[in-house]
Amino acid sequence: MIQNNEKKVLIKGRNLKRYYYRAAETVKALDGIDIDVFAGESLCILGASGSGKTTLINLLSALDAPTEGELFIDGKNVIGLSENQLVDIRRGVIGYVFQKFHLIPTLSVAENVALPLMFLGMPYSDRDIDVILDSVGLLDRRTHKPSELSGGQMQRVAVARALAVKPKVLIADEPTGNLDKQTGDDVFALFLDLVKQQNIGFILTTHNLELAERCDRVIVLEDGKIIS
Amino acid sequence: MNFFKFALKNLIGRPIRTVLTIGGVALAVAVAVSLGGFNQGYKKAIEGSIEQLGFQVMVMAKGCPYEAATLMLKGGTGLLYLPDNAYTQIKEDPDVQAITPIFIGLAEKQNVGIMGDEDEGDGSNAFTIMSGIDLKSFKEMKPWFTFKTGEGYDGGRWFDENATDEIVMGYEVAEYENRKVGDTFYASVTPNGAVEPVMHEFKVVGVLERTGSQDDGSVYIPLKAAQTIFNRPNELTIVGIKLKEFNGIRMREFEGRWLRIPEVQVVSLQQVKGALISLIGTAQIMIAAVAIIAVIVAIIGVINAIMMSVFERMGEIGIMKAVGASRKQVFILIWIETLFLTLIGAIVGCLLAIVGSGAVDTALRYLLNMGVTTDMVDITLPLLVLAVVSAVILGLLAGIWPSLRAANLRPVQAIRSSE
Repeated sequence: MIQNNEKKVLIKGRNLKRYYYRAAETVKALDGIDIDVFAGESLCILGASGSGKTTLINLLSALDAPTEGELFIDGKNVIGLSENQLVDIRRGVIGYVFQKFHLIPTLSVAENVALPLMFLGMPYSDRDIDVILDSVGLLDRRTHKPSELSGGQMQRVAVARALAVKPKVLIADEPTGNLDKQTGDDVFALFLDLVKQQNIGFILTTHNLELAERCDRVIVLEDGKIIS
Repeated sequence: MNFFKFALKNLIGRPIRTVLTIGGVALAVAVAVSLGGFNQGYKKAIEGSIEQLGFQVMVMAKGCPYEAATLMLKGGTGLLYLPDNAYTQIKEDPDVQAITPIFIGLAEKQNVGIMGDEDEGDGSNAFTIMSGIDLKSFKEMKPWFTFKTGEGYDGGRWFDENATDEIVMGYEVAEYENRKVGDTFYASVTPNGAVEPVMHEFKVVGVLERTGSQDDGSVYIPLKAAQTIFNRPNELTIVGIKLKEFNGIRMREFEGRWLRIPEVQVVSLQQVKGALISLIGTAQIMIAAVAIIAVIVAIIGVINAIMMSVFERMGEIGIMKAVGASRKQVFILIWIETLFLTLIGAIVGCLLAIVGSGAVDTALRYLLNMGVTTDMVDITLPLLVLAVVSAVILGLLAGIWPSLRAANLRPVQAIRSSE
C-alpha cells in the first residue's frame, strides 16, 4: 500500500463542481469531488460513460475551470484564472494523452513530439527528441507522418509528446480505448514504466477493470460523485 | 521546428485550398499591377508619341478638338483642310523656330502584288495614310529619320521633290505590305470633287527605320504631288510648329496672333495630351473599379479560406492549446499562414502581370485605340514592391479575425467539436 502522506501532492482538489447550464436545466457533471494526486503514483478514475471522468481530468489538467471548489495544481490555485493563466499552469506541469491520439497530421512523428517544446520556447536538439522517441520504441518512425502509423504507434507518439516537456503529472483520457487488447496492454505497461522511472503523477480514466487493478489507487465516479 | 515552418507545413498539407487561395490573391494582384502599369505607361506613351511628332503646336482647320488630338497620332477620316497661305504667314512669326506643312490623305490600297499582278488576298481594300510633306522642313523637324538597310533595302533615299510617282514607306506599312526598295505600290485615290477613284502606281525609293511612332504607318510623298493627286491644290491638313520658347504665356500669345486667320485653330500638343488623358480617364475609373472588386473578392477569399481552415482544424488548435500553446502563439501561427498565402499570391500575381503585360497591352490598345504606339503598360520595380507590400498588409488585416477566432477557442470545446 502506498503511504500517500509521504509523497508530494501535485494536484489537490476540494469540493470540485462543474455545472453546465442548458436553458432551465442544470447538468451537474461533477458535484463535490475531493481528490489528491501524488508524485510517482498512478491513479485510475473508473466509471461508466457520462459519469464525469473526462470532465474531472479536464479540470485536473487545467483545460477547463470548475464552477465551484478549490483546485491547486503544483501548488498554484487555479480558481478564477483566465485562459492565458491556465496555459501557464498547464505548461511544463501537465502532459495530456487523448483517447483519439490527436496528433497533428501535417507534422512528422519527431515534429509532433517537439511541438510542446516549441510552444514553451524550450531549446531542444534532434538528439533530445530521439531520446524521447527511443523511450517509447519509435525511434525508427521519427520521419513518418501520423497517417503512416498504426493506432498503437500513434498512441505512443502521443505519450512521447506528453513526456517531452518533462511534466509533473501525466494525464490520459481512456488511452487504450481506441486500441486492441494486446496493443492497449503494451501501451499501458509503457505508461506505468515511465511513471515509475520519472517519478511523475499519473492519472488515467478508463472503464477497463483489468487496467484499473494495475494502478496504485482507483476512484469510482457515478453521476459526478465519487462512490468509492 | 519554428512557427514559420509549422505554418508552411499546414499550408502544404492542404494543397488544393492553398493553391486556390493563392490563385485568387494572384489574380487580384495581377489585375491591380496591370492597372497600375497602365496608369504609369499610358501617360508616358502619350508623351512619347507626342514627342515623336517633333513639334509642340499644330495649326489646323477648325473642328472637333478631340479629332484634332487623334488626327496626328493615328490618322483619321473626315479630314478638314486649311489654305496653305496659313503656312507662309505663320512661317514669318518671330516665335517660330521650325515649321513644316503636312497634307494628309487617305488612299484606298489595292490588293495587288508587288509587281502589279492580282494578289491572293480576299479582294477587300483598306486605307493607307498618305502624308504629303515638304522634305526640307520635315527633315529639320524630324532629324532622327534614317533609312532601313540590308538586302532589298540598301540604297534607300528620299524622293525627288518634283517627282509624282516616288514614295518613301514607314517601317510598319512596308512590313505589312511586304514592300522593299524598288518595288511598286498601287493605291487608288478619289480626288476632291470626283466620284470614281483613280489608280496610281508608285515606286518605293526608300523604307524608313522603325521609330516606334505613328510615322511607321505612313506613306510619304512630296507635298505638291499629294495635293495634286487628291485635287486639293494649295490646301494643307496641318502645319506643325516648334516654338523658340514653349510655355503657357508664349503659347497664348502665339495662339492670339494666329486665330485671326479664318477657319483656323491653334492646338498645343499639351492640350492634345490633356485631351487624350481625359478621354482615357473614364476607362481608367472603370478598370480601377474592376481592380478594386478583384482585390475585395481576394480579401474575402483569404478570410474565407483561413476561416475554413480554422474550423476544419478546431481539434488541432485545441490540441495545440492543450499541449501548451498560448492564445498569442495560436494567433501568430494562423496569421503567419495568412502572410504566406498573401505573400506567395502577391509574388505570383506580379509574375503573372509581367508575363501577361504584352497581352494586356494589346487588349488595351484594341479597346482604347488612341494612337499610342509605345508600350501602354509600364510595370516598374517600385510598382511591384508597392503591390506586394499592399497585398501583404491587406492579407494580414484579413487574417486578424480568423486568427482571433482561433486564438480564443477554448481547448476542451475545440477538441470536443472535432470528435
